[in-house]
Amino acid sequence: MIVRQHHLEHVEKELWVENRLGIHARPAMKIATTARQYDAEINLEKDGAQADARDLLAILTLDCPQGTRLVLKARGPEAREAVQALSRLFASKFEEI
Amino acid sequence: MTPANLILRGIPASPGIVIGRARVISDTGEVQNSFRLVYTEEERLAELERFRLAVEQAEEDLLRVKEEVSQEFPEHVHLFELQLMILKDQMFHKDTLRLIKENNLNAEWALYQSFEKVKNLFSRIQDPYIRGRVQDVDAVYRRLLGNLSGWAPQRYLSSSEPIIIVARDLSPAETTQMASSRVLGFVTERGTKTSHTAILAQSLEIPAVVGLDNATRQIANGTNLILDGLTGRVVLEPGDRLLTTYQTRKQEFETFKSEVGRSSELPAITLDQFATQVLANLELPEEVQLALKYGADGVGLYRTEFIYLRQRQLPTEEELFEDYRRVVVAMQPKPVTIRTLDLGGDKFLSHLEYAPEMNPALGLRAIRFCLREQGIFRTQLKAILRASAYGRVRVMFPLISSVREVWEGRELLQSVQEELTKEGHPFDPQLPVGVMIEVPAAVTLAPLLAREADFFSIGTNDLIQYALAIDRGNKQVADMYQPLHPAVLRMITLAVEAARQAGIPIAMCGEMAGDYLYVPILLGLGLNELSMNAMAIPVIKHVIRRLTLREVREMTLQVLEMPTVEEINDFVFGQMQQRFPEIYRFGSALVGTS
Repeated sequence: MIVRQHHLEHVEKELWVENRLGIHARPAMKIATTARQYDAEINLEKDGAQADARDLLAILTLDCPQGTRLVLKARGPEAREAVQALSRLFASKFEEI
Repeated sequence: MTPANLILRGIPASPGIVIGRARVISDTGEVQNSFRLVYTEEERLAELERFRLAVEQAEEDLLRVKEEVSQEFPEHVHLFELQLMILKDQMFHKDTLRLIKENNLNAEWALYQSFEKVKNLFSRIQDPYIRGRVQDVDAVYRRLLGNLSGWAPQRYLSSSEPIIIVARDLSPAETTQMASSRVLGFVTERGTKTSHTAILAQSLEIPAVVGLDNATRQIANGTNLILDGLTGRVVLEPGDRLLTTYQTRKQEFETFKSEVGRSSELPAITLDQFATQVLANLELPEEVQLALKYGADGVGLYRTEFIYLRQRQLPTEEELFEDYRRVVVAMQPKPVTIRTLDLGGDKFLSHLEYAPEMNPALGLRAIRFCLREQGIFRTQLKAILRASAYGRVRVMFPLISSVREVWEGRELLQSVQEELTKEGHPFDPQLPVGVMIEVPAAVTLAPLLAREADFFSIGTNDLIQYALAIDRGNKQVADMYQPLHPAVLRMITLAVEAARQAGIPIAMCGEMAGDYLYVPILLGLGLNELSMNAMAIPVIKHVIRRLTLREVREMTLQVLEMPTVEEINDFVFGQMQQRFPEIYRFGSALVGTS
């Protein structure tokens, strides 16, 4: 985790999509719901393409099957907490297999 | 005025007969999108307000439906949560607002444009599963458009009398919605037996006919209908005679269905106390719930290919182990039979360099491929062995055509066991090893193979194809694919006899095992276990529980004397029709879409 201390905290983390079906509807809903709980601007990046982590359709259309590598970028007062929560969600494979 | 007794034919998609009035649903997707530019600030505010109200109405409706569905079908609630989120999604919702504000568009046209944009993004998604979610965006779009144009937003639920829905197409979410309403059944113009909507209708037990061309034009609102989800027939304005016929048929089917349902929990024992095991075939670990629901005595065939095909890289030992363990734990103490990888080198993973084969059915596949790619095979064997510490596991090798292949498979298993012991992983040292009988060579070698195996399992799909030299996918010869062909029956007899001599059990796990018409012959031939698509289990048990071993042996002896498959089919189907008229008529409706 790279942490840079500016006036706004900026946190970055690499995440992998590990569940079998990839980021389909349910995982995307979980990501968006989680992201919306934090006061931070949160983006998911895949090969240069970006999606707002609060935006369900943006996450879905990022097209992330199993094995996708994503970079999570958060900026804001609760950036660190948001990244922690989303990392846990990814690590739990969205409670799937 | 619709003429009386007009009969239309579609595809039967979900079994059952219902009688009621038609409610024809107009397709809001075809609402003419009026394009209008708005010029004044007032107009713009009015469009924004209209859109806000349409969204508010949609939210209210979806929340109410979600509430209703959550009572009865909690497993489908997420469909509505998803649509609720799409409704407020930035890409969709905010973009529409922006188009109204900045581009001076009317609400309908702005909505249409943002929908097209989202649809376009979805169309570029490679993963078919994720791409399919565009259906839900489409459902939300149609709902909003309906609200904007003032069409009845709650199309299905506001009925005080029982109705039959007639629509061009229905989304899975709309289908789910019907389960908690007074909808008796539905007819659609689109769809197939295996579409998501059809499968959902089966699981919700809503009778349905799909693929009925021009249904919305041929059937007028309020028409009296009989919908027969067993045959795919829809009768318009039925007369008294047809009504009586169908009411009787409906009654008979419902009685049959509840009797069959009761059989699922009972043991598969013949009237003269001969016990058989009826097991389930699985493809995904999740399906283990279905196996349990339909009363499986275990898993007779766990196909393990899916995870290899689904992902780009090879699955790890941990991933495989997790999958297997889940199934084993859920089935415990019932057995789980895991078939090792049954794939061909050509359609296997792209990073393994195998040229496409001219004749893949006769090529490098299944056990042959595994013995060539030992790294892949060892990983799978390790995962299977580790899962064996959590319940009753059996392993079987597909496409065996020589004794040497069994030796080599067992040797690998042995060496993997040593590795696991070193690593400190527990496993079942007595793990039963089965040989699949799928190649004619295995039938002729059966007495020798039986000495090397702990059990046999006949894979009929391949055995029939190889024995009769028939490719079922080839329309020219597909009708020559005949499970009761005397050559096939004789091969089964040889394998059963070899197993009996060696004192090992013999199972059957091909499609043939799940066909209720073949049950007497399979019992008569002496198979100990039958493994099938889980939904077929109750019907098969129902049949077994109504036969005696004596009569099926007698039937089988007669059949083995018959020289042609035509004679055998006539005899067997005739007997079944006579003995079990209701199973003969309705049985196939209850075995599901496999």
